Amino acid sequence: MEVEIDEKDLKLAGAELLTDGRRGLRIHGWEIESRKGSILNSSAREQWEKDLQTSHLPEMIFGESRLVLKHVGSGAKIHFNAFDALAGWKQEGLPPVEVPAAAKWKFRCKPSQQVILDYDYTFTTPYCGSEMVELDADKHGSGGSSGIHWEDCKEQIDVAALALKEPILFYDEVVLYEDELADNGVSLLTVKVRVMPSSWFLLLRFWLRVDGVLMRLRDTRVHCVFNESANPVILRERCWREGTFQALSAKGYPTDSASYSDPSIISKRLPVIMNQTQKLRVPGIL
Amino acid sequence: MSDLDRQIEQLKKCEPLKESEVKALCLKAMEILVEESNVQRVDAPVTICGDIHGQFYDMKELFKVGGDCPKTNYLFLGDFVDRGFYSVETFLLLLALKVRYPDRITLIRGNHESRQITQVYGFYDECLRKYGSVNVWRYCTDIFDYLSLSALIENKIFSVHGGLSPAISTLDQIRTIDRKQEVPHDGAMCDLLWSDPEDIVDGWGLSPRGAGFLFGGSVVTSFNHTNNIDYICRAHQLVMEGYKWMFNNQIVTVWSAPNYCYRCGNVAAILELDENLNKQFRVFDAAPQESRGAPAKKPAPDYFL
Repeated sequence: MEVEIDEKDLKLAGAELLTDGRRGLRIHGWEIESRKGSILNSSAREQWEKDLQTSHLPEMIFGESRLVLKHVGSGAKIHFNAFDALAGWKQEGLPPVEVPAAAKWKFRCKPSQQVILDYDYTFTTPYCGSEMVELDADKHGSGGSSGIHWEDCKEQIDVAALALKEPILFYDEVVLYEDELADNGVSLLTVKVRVMPSSWFLLLRFWLRVDGVLMRLRDTRVHCVFNESANPVILRERCWREGTFQALSAKGYPTDSASYSDPSIISKRLPVIMNQTQKLRVPGIL
Repeated sequence: MSDLDRQIEQLKKCEPLKESEVKALCLKAMEILVEESNVQRVDAPVTICGDIHGQFYDMKELFKVGGDCPKTNYLFLGDFVDRGFYSVETFLLLLALKVRYPDRITLIRGNHESRQITQVYGFYDECLRKYGSVNVWRYCTDIFDYLSLSALIENKIFSVHGGLSPAISTLDQIRTIDRKQEVPHDGAMCDLLWSDPEDIVDGWGLSPRGAGFLFGGSVVTSFNHTNNIDYICRAHQLVMEGYKWMFNNQIVTVWSAPNYCYRCGNVAAILELDENLNKQFRVFDAAPQESRGAPAKKPAPDYFL
């Protein structure tokens, strides 16, 4: 649905847009900013390969793109970027997924001295965002993680409140990385954000489709309801879904890849394999 | 003005042809393409172009930089369709130019010129949307089967969409392939359209997907030596700078889709060879936003959950 952002709504909510060409806004003690850049060039890629100790990276890395949400009063900062996500991919190091043609290839006569590469070319990442406390440099020295962390909790994100059609004061979608799996599907990490008068909400989504084999959806939703106290309550829900084309076929669903181009439409067909809700703790403040 | 010239003018404005016109054009193209070799001979001077992917307005930038056909002699290395918004107009314009000036433009097949791939990555849906039926997709994919697999410029530069195959050591072996079929899932024809050069292997490598070859520097050296060629020119992989040499200038990747998928921010390149095979890369940017009919860059806010 298309929504126009209204100057009057901004004013009513006590929000102001960022200036100097920055995209984002300030609202209720939060500064929310998105940045979008080009894909990494060859020399930057080489540097990332060194830093991440890998010789393979997604074809399209939007290395300068990011979403940053900073609570100015506490210095708590939640941010999303490709580098940290790829560090997560490297660390998880899943085994590769074979495409359907692989079975046939096993019977091909092998060229001598063939090397079989075995990194996780799907770039599956457990990444669910980065967080830190960024203190005002003049007063407190440099920032750091200083104990900021997520704790499991019983509360749930208030989906009913999010379903209300409040005006959207700021909206953006930032692609962090993308790979076409050499035309065998898609691997895509994006983060979407919307800011309303009463809260901000974001969805970080890792979406993988290996044509004819499997789909993986790793969603992280983060919600913060504005209140006037110094202690914002930030809830995070992680939900991982995964299913094979074979399992979909057994349930009578279509198995052509074209039916699975939009994860938001088909997500319910994929079984949940992990679900967790957490709350952000910022020591000394929350 | 002949019907064909009128159709070319129309396509240059990014207006698709009628279904009956597409059918007639494809029939004429088939007669020309069927005569071409799997290793089509191309004379210099020639301008080599990589992937286009339906980015029609960016292809118009390419022609602005490289000059119009037939004044400039062109070689396109495949992947005309999918991903972009104007695969129909892009492919039909190139095909119409091929029929009008068969000796001034050479089109070889990319891995996207395939029934299976176009059903997943856009061309099929675009045909259905623009024509209300899949007939145009059928005519075009039938033509794909006739596209040549590679080109040889002045016996010195071998051009192919993807790369080499362990089943191929000589150009004559390519000449014996029966290409008039859907791109197979394995074998020499598949490799030519799908394989990639890879720094970290020296000989042959297998992709972690379990299908798809990677080839290293020594494979290229030996192929170039055996066939007495100077270097290989290929496309198939996005390069931020538009072109990229590998293995001591024995192979070059040329990429001609600027701001790929309308968001990558990369530049594109074409490779101009003069009559003495002197090289000049011409780098170009995407068409300005206002000159294209592409959707606005700004995402429309939505109440996602």
